[in-house]
Amino acid sequence: MASNEYVIPEHYEDLTPAPQLDQKTLNKMAWRSCFLQASFNYERMQAAGWLYSIIPGLEKIHTNKNDLAASMSHNLEFFNTHPFLVTFVMGIVLSLEQNKVDIPTIRAVRVAAMGPLGGIGDALFWLTLVPITAGITSNMAINGNAAAPIIFLVIFNAVQFALRFWLMNWSYKLGTSAIDALTANMQAFTRAASIMGVFVVGCLVVTMGGTQINLQIPNGTTRGLSATTVIVSEKEAKNFTGMEGIDTETAEAGTIAMTDKDGNALTASDADGNAVTCGVTDLGNGMESVTYGTVTEDPVNFSVADTLNTIVPKLVPLMLTLLLYYMFAKHSWTPTKGILLLFVLGILGAGPLGLWPSIW
Amino acid sequence: MEYSIIQVALVFIVTFVAAIDQFNFLESLYQPIVTGAVIGLILGDLNTGLLVGGTYQLMTIGNMPIGGAQPPNAVIGGIMAAILAIATGLEPNAAVGLAIPFALLGQLGVTLVFTLMSPLMSSADNMAHNADTKGIERLNYFAMALLGLIFAVVVTLFFIAGATIGQTIASAIPTWLQTGLSAAGGMMRFVGFAVLLKVMMNRDMWGFFLMGFGLALITVANDSLATPALLILALIGFGIAFWDFQQQTELKGAAVSDGGDFEDGI
Repeated sequence: MASNEYVIPEHYEDLTPAPQLDQKTLNKMAWRSCFLQASFNYERMQAAGWLYSIIPGLEKIHTNKNDLAASMSHNLEFFNTHPFLVTFVMGIVLSLEQNKVDIPTIRAVRVAAMGPLGGIGDALFWLTLVPITAGITSNMAINGNAAAPIIFLVIFNAVQFALRFWLMNWSYKLGTSAIDALTANMQAFTRAASIMGVFVVGCLVVTMGGTQINLQIPNGTTRGLSATTVIVSEKEAKNFTGMEGIDTETAEAGTIAMTDKDGNALTASDADGNAVTCGVTDLGNGMESVTYGTVTEDPVNFSVADTLNTIVPKLVPLMLTLLLYYMFAKHSWTPTKGILLLFVLGILGAGPLGLWPSIW
Repeated sequence: MEYSIIQVALVFIVTFVAAIDQFNFLESLYQPIVTGAVIGLILGDLNTGLLVGGTYQLMTIGNMPIGGAQPPNAVIGGIMAAILAIATGLEPNAAVGLAIPFALLGQLGVTLVFTLMSPLMSSADNMAHNADTKGIERLNYFAMALLGLIFAVVVTLFFIAGATIGQTIASAIPTWLQTGLSAAGGMMRFVGFAVLLKVMMNRDMWGFFLMGFGLALITVANDSLATPALLILALIGFGIAFWDFQQQTELKGAAVSDGGDFEDGI
């Protein structure tokens, strides 16, 4: 009874090849492959889920109960591959099981096939399909489009299920030769997928990186004269012409005048920015048009964001991504450490307790 | 904000399904862009749900279960971000930032479950030795239900607690902390990008990364292309990758002796 006593045999007892699996069984297994990670654990990873997925096929192939037990036992060994591409391994392994190949051979093929699929699947799904579809639909969702989640689900699952069912049938037909077909171009394929992947990440830094340093550094003030024109009676106009001249360099903001300290007419700028000369114009009907200047003093801010954008837009997202990459790749940081770093950065940048102005 | 028993039950069910779905079934229902909208519907604020779901999704892009690594749990994180935003009226980026501790907790929980499931394998062995196919099936269903239940119970507890005290917490958060959380939430996506780069990058790939960055800058500068920008860029990227694939395979055909012993980023 104890598992230690059971020894997995090298050969099946019944060596007559079983009949071809029908389409219905293949479909059933492709469907079950969705539950590959049902009992995922750190010891055997997907092993029990893998066995669960291929049980319909194994039951058809091994009518001899001892053979079924042997097959189930060796198929419960450590197994880990990409969950979306697992049907590729299933097809091959089942074609071998059906031909009652020696168990060590089946085991070797299974292990050889499950490894490379991990990288391809990650490149295909997590690094390409999800970033692109989720990236586009996330922006739609942020804009309040309720169709976004549905579009995401439809695209993702159409690709997923097409691959699951197609790989199942294809690899079952191809049998062992499929492994060669895959490995022949695998490096080129992985490389191409990586190129597409890093290219897309470069794009994502721009399209989704919104972080900007919005800090405005006070950089002195700028002085000016703003022109105002009023229509007043001749008598009132005397009040204006009688005003003292001012020193435009030192006068307080808000002071109004028409002449400088040497008595020359001032030049002020009107609302449209045009220069006008201060003075009085007789309108001929007892009224006069008076133009005077008001001293203005506006603070000037040095915008960090504008300066950074003249180097290259999205510089902050690029730098943060590269910094994190450097920490992950060269200092073996975990993603969690990176998240904590950004947390600290975010809070410190916001000026905790009002100790310094926020840079966000 | 008070929630009805039905809303609590629906949140429980959604979390149960999403928790199972994160490793099984469609493996896409659990994505924050979906759960955010669903939670929004349940709590009667679809718009905020979409907004938070989309924001959280951007953060998780690339922060995927690559190579067996466990990222901060998107199920708990996504659902909690939507709940927090709707219950407290926090700004989406701040809600996402506030949900991160929950996601880290979920990550810990998943690691724990995967460790605790290991002893189950010896009973699975016994079933296999006895050709007990039904036993293997039951074991898988049990494991899935367990994972779903753990998640659903934890999130529902957070939800009930959050619904009543959430508002108090939100109003007690000072402005600088909200700004900080928002900024941090907006930056989280760079972690995902960097993880992707780490997995895929090797020395001769940097050019393609920079090319993507440059072309994207040009594309987004054109307002009329803002929405289809990524699709257009993906087409360009595909063209480059496909061309490279053709080059590589042709070269390989020409030089048969090449064993191809270099290893790529993946």
